[in-house]
Amino acid sequence: MPEQMTLSDTVIEAAREVFETMIFMDVETSSEACPTITGQALLGSITFKGNLEGCLAVCVSQSCAERIAKNMLGMEPEEPLSLEDTCDAIGEVANMVMGSIKTRLQDIYPAVEVSIPSVITGRELKNTLGEKAVKTVVCAWLDEQDAVEFSFLYREANA
Amino acid sequence: MAKSLMIVDDSATMRKIIMRTVRMSGLEFNRTEEAGNGKEALEKLQASPVDIVLCDINMPEMSGTEMVKEARKLDCCNATKIIMVSTESADDLINGVMSDGANGYITKPFTPEKFQEKLAPFMN
Repeated sequence: MPEQMTLSDTVIEAAREVFETMIFMDVETSSEACPTITGQALLGSITFKGNLEGCLAVCVSQSCAERIAKNMLGMEPEEPLSLEDTCDAIGEVANMVMGSIKTRLQDIYPAVEVSIPSVITGRELKNTLGEKAVKTVVCAWLDEQDAVEFSFLYREANA
Repeated sequence: MAKSLMIVDDSATMRKIIMRTVRMSGLEFNRTEEAGNGKEALEKLQASPVDIVLCDINMPEMSGTEMVKEARKLDCCNATKIIMVSTESADDLINGVMSDGANGYITKPFTPEKFQEKLAPFMN
């Protein structure tokens, strides 16, 4: 089982790779407590199974989700964007971050299959996976402006 | 001579991102098509073949790996170059899809430079 500290580093390194390469946003972790994402939020999640099973989720406010989607699509801030496109973009972020995590854990867990991402909207959204799950939560800031929460929940397949 | 391109991905947003990245890479296509999964891509290819396909792997209905196998059975796709674009990076999977008939592999996240590098050899 990966060390919690190492897993946190893996999650944040994967997130940085995705955000800096394709979304053009800086990801900075905070030593302070996780900021609360207030108001309407989006949670993009993707499950995985194999010799490690669980779920990765990315949670941001709706306004941050729109900024992420517009950056990904090369849109101007004032251009209109549908909720459907915003959700699709956050699903892709979850997909790419999970892909990058999977690559980084490949030597330890070579047989992990990922699902197709899904996105929900609402308030006070949480990622859960039952009692036996190990949970790693990484909070960060995007461009020193918006809070983002990455939660990686897992259990080994024979646990 | 200008080429034609098809982007196959179940995410409409990702199709737009790929199209934008291809444009940023400086490569030009005279016709572009889109499909949301492997099955839809095969139907469109049989109706109107393209030179290059950029294809995701994890998709509903028909995955990219299945699509490559099926495309290689079709006369219409003999000359079509298929480049996989996926978050999957396991060597076994990449080697498998390349031996099934894919012509290249790009992992997400990607850059315009990566598209230039992988597609330029097929543009002449």
